[in-house]
Amino acid sequence: MKSPVSSPPPGRRRPRTTTTLLLAGTVLVSSGCAVANSAGGDAGRADGRTLRVVLTQEPPTLEPCEASLTGTGVVVRSNITEPLVERDPVSGELHPLLATGWKQTGPRTWTFDTRSGVTFQNGEPFTAEDAAFSIDRAVNSDLACNVEGYVFGDDDLEVEAVGDDRLTVTTAEPDPILPLRLSFVEIVPRTTDTEAKVRVPIGTGPYAVRSWQAGTAISLSRHDGYWGEAPDFPRARYVWRSDASVRAAMIDKDEAEIAVALDSMEAEKDTTAAYPNNETTALRLDGREAPLDDLRVRRAIDLAVDRPGIIDALLGGLAEPAGQLVPPGVVGHSEEIEPVRQDVAKARALVREARADGVPTGRTITLVARNGMFSGVSETAEALQYQMERIGLRVRVRMADTATQLQYQLRPLPKGVGPIALLIMHGNQAGDAAFTASQYLLSDGPQSTFGSGDLDRRVADAGLLSGGKRQQAFADLLAHQNETVVQYTHIAHMSGLLGLSPSIRYEPNSATGDELRLAEVRQAGAVKR
Amino acid sequence: MVHFLRKRIISSAVPLFCVVLGVFFLARMTGNPVDLYLPLSATAEQRAEFSAAQGFDLSIPAQLWNYLADAARLDFGTSLRTGQPATEMVLDAFPVTLQLAGVTMLLAITGALLVGSLAAYRPNSLADRFASLLSMTAASIPDFWFAVMGVLVFGVSLGWLPTSGTLGGPEIWVLPIATLLIRPFGVLVQVVRGSMVSALSAPYVKIARSKGATPLRVIFGHALRNAVTPVLTVAGDLTVGLVNGAVIVETIFGWPGIGKLMIDSILQRDFAVLQAAVLLTAVTIFALNILVDVCHALTDPRVRQAVPA
Repeated sequence: MKSPVSSPPPGRRRPRTTTTLLLAGTVLVSSGCAVANSAGGDAGRADGRTLRVVLTQEPPTLEPCEASLTGTGVVVRSNITEPLVERDPVSGELHPLLATGWKQTGPRTWTFDTRSGVTFQNGEPFTAEDAAFSIDRAVNSDLACNVEGYVFGDDDLEVEAVGDDRLTVTTAEPDPILPLRLSFVEIVPRTTDTEAKVRVPIGTGPYAVRSWQAGTAISLSRHDGYWGEAPDFPRARYVWRSDASVRAAMIDKDEAEIAVALDSMEAEKDTTAAYPNNETTALRLDGREAPLDDLRVRRAIDLAVDRPGIIDALLGGLAEPAGQLVPPGVVGHSEEIEPVRQDVAKARALVREARADGVPTGRTITLVARNGMFSGVSETAEALQYQMERIGLRVRVRMADTATQLQYQLRPLPKGVGPIALLIMHGNQAGDAAFTASQYLLSDGPQSTFGSGDLDRRVADAGLLSGGKRQQAFADLLAHQNETVVQYTHIAHMSGLLGLSPSIRYEPNSATGDELRLAEVRQAGAVKR
Repeated sequence: MVHFLRKRIISSAVPLFCVVLGVFFLARMTGNPVDLYLPLSATAEQRAEFSAAQGFDLSIPAQLWNYLADAARLDFGTSLRTGQPATEMVLDAFPVTLQLAGVTMLLAITGALLVGSLAAYRPNSLADRFASLLSMTAASIPDFWFAVMGVLVFGVSLGWLPTSGTLGGPEIWVLPIATLLIRPFGVLVQVVRGSMVSALSAPYVKIARSKGATPLRVIFGHALRNAVTPVLTVAGDLTVGLVNGAVIVETIFGWPGIGKLMIDSILQRDFAVLQAAVLLTAVTIFALNILVDVCHALTDPRVRQAVPA
């Protein structure tokens, strides 16, 4: 009987099939290896000359006017490009960088003297004309640079180079912190494109971009014509891994010298360094919707939160209880403002009182938090939910991605979504509470849901002051917010964790997360200069 | 065969067009990307300008028309996130995934044919039970856990392999491929074994044995050819899953493939890259399905004969 499968004897065709399969396999494997090898942009081997840094993600761009974005700034700022002025992250003082000095020469005008003998990485000399060009490009152009909106707001600046080594900057209104704002403008040569953002910049910094292998690595090499002290490492290489445990493993395996944003479970290792990162977490209560429109309910939530408990159990003990939106070291931070102590009985009494007055305390409050905001964010949201429900409120948690969370965070705020308690993490890297107040405290602030006329006036008045008076005015208005508005239930001043190889010396500071200065990294055996 | 191919390509065009439309509408249902790309304090005018520049201010039908017209020219626009052409980004990422998937499936199929066939030769023997245990375990292990454990054990504790990355010799392939391989291998061993048990009990195999054919010749020369059809079907499905994006592996081991690119573009509302990536992946999956059908036709004459001339 003939088999239904009437094919030629299998053995006859096998050699050809086998050969084809083997050939296909060899080609596939060899082409794969070729890609892997040709990528050539991994962290590479330890050679003592290349500083290998592992980030959480690939920078979307290295455009200097986007350097206020964390993912871009951590590579660009003070490594590839430099500003006129830099803020010391520890003392908060301004230091000269590409400007040697500055002074206010009119009610609205500041004059900056620029450094001579500085060259860009393309060999062109740096002059005041370049500084004026860079400010104009970042602030006044149609490029919609991040630094423009974040630091300067709506008003343009008048910028003029007066000779090769002096420029004047004039603001629309008197601005006592203009030099601080200009510390966010990275200086580029005047030949830089003004019609479109650049992907790879040229600057005056200690390192120049050597190559960017998309998806794999960014390599820098030392700028030999750098005007300042030469960095220890002739080369640097950035790679990125999304998973924190892999970043930590790369330090353990000597595949990287620095790993950013490690998990709290790595905190006990000798190779992990904790540092305050100027980020503050808080619940923003939408005071336009019942029951959050009642001051007693907002106070009750403030009293319900167990800050030390959350920090110890969920944040690995790596944070400090917060009573205000700005951490120590920022102008306006007040040591007199204490974090609110948990008092459940008092909180329950406030909710009962509000309910008795007709406030619908049974209405469900949506607690919105963003995935990946910090390690332990979902557990923190659940703890806050429990603590709020414990005092008689109804709460549901909604975990969102970045884009969705921004819809709740930014004006115009979504309508018809009920009362929202939004878990925010605010970073004030500028070092002045004015940047926080204009965003989070003004009645119509881009990230504020409500406020008060009195608070708005205080913010406007404080912004015109300088020195000790400025410090006191912002400290007062932060206390005023806590007493009369209570839009925020402050939770914690956060810390970051950095993985550091034993082969290097580096002390992280509050700016490290946004501006990792490679020139400050030394070989462990090198003598500190 | 040409007619067979033409028919399959034509029948694939409609679902492909549905994918093109689906990704367009679903992407826009996730919200306006303006907030992600402008400073938090950007004014309403700046937001309006950005929307206009990206064409988000147009009506949905107008956006769809532009999208289809550009897609016909294989121009998917520029990435909002990086400013690079979307097509270029996708074409850079896709070969990485394709090679991971290709090497993985080659090893998985080869391994499964060997282990599954030998297990089926003597059902319920010790070797068979061991193979079944191995395959069920492999098919059940979560790949994320396996990947992280691989990094910690073989990368850090034993120091035999690099933790991640794409630079180096063959050793850099081991953990990513092992992570990708484990599930397809487990599933395929079970399929091969089941199929071979049935094939080895067929009359033509008994005849071959009675003629004194060696066990290896019986298995690989006679039975396997007739048992391979279901294996091809399952292998095709598993390959499609890998081509869709080996997201876990690409994320953990830092391989810049299409899965990671798609996830990033979804989270960043980078419509141009998302649309290009989904379309290319869909086309590849249709091509893979056709390839599987062709393989069926080559290995099983009944399939060829079923197609009218």
